[in-house]
Amino acid sequence: MVERTVAVASRTGLHARPAKLFVQEAQRLGVPVKVRVGSGKEVPATSMLGVLSLGAVRGTEVTLSAAGGPEGEAAVEALAALLARDLDASDG
Amino acid sequence: MREVLQARAVRLGESAATREEAITRCGQVLVEIGAVAQPYVAAMLERERSVSTYVGEGVAIPHGTSKEHVTRDAICVLRFPGGIDWDGENVVVCVGIAARGDGHVALLAELAEILLDPERARALREATDVDAVMKELT
Repeated sequence: MVERTVAVASRTGLHARPAKLFVQEAQRLGVPVKVRVGSGKEVPATSMLGVLSLGAVRGTEVTLSAAGGPEGEAAVEALAALLARDLDASDG
Repeated sequence: MREVLQARAVRLGESAATREEAITRCGQVLVEIGAVAQPYVAAMLERERSVSTYVGEGVAIPHGTSKEHVTRDAICVLRFPGGIDWDGENVVVCVGIAARGDGHVALLAELAEILLDPERARALREATDVDAVMKELT
């Protein structure tokens, strides 16, 4: 089990466009990663509705988790890095 | 959340031939209720072209990219019983968003919760009663 907690950096929080980019990346990675806020319910990182239901705004601490091993670690690392960036500021 | 969604911003018998028309209708309703100025409608269309706002379960959440032209946080709920081709997805409900701050985030989270429950999602797609939609969302 690998876990990483990171504060959402995007101005608009984790919904709309940043959520879409996050979910697309999770789908692309193809490794099961779960997301939760605090001790709340876990949702799959690949579910747009699940991610939206977290209601995360800028600064909300979000915890990513995956099964241990190199693939899980790499996926959690990549998604954490995405959350730590202001996705509203990037192109694409 | 009640002030973010007003009953007069819930329109259940809309029709639109295209995604662009549907987004424009959402924008017009946001203009009507005094949440945004007219140029915001163009910003909503532009945002949609960059990344689709389809979220799943026949629902899209069109919105503009900047706070410019937004007077207050508000959402509108428009139902298109005939469905709209949304870049390959069939959209029946559009939740148009005007946001200056984070006032709409809790409501979006609530909307997502509803849509994660297939029964509640179906009820929202088939809603014909404004009061029922208000009760479900606020």
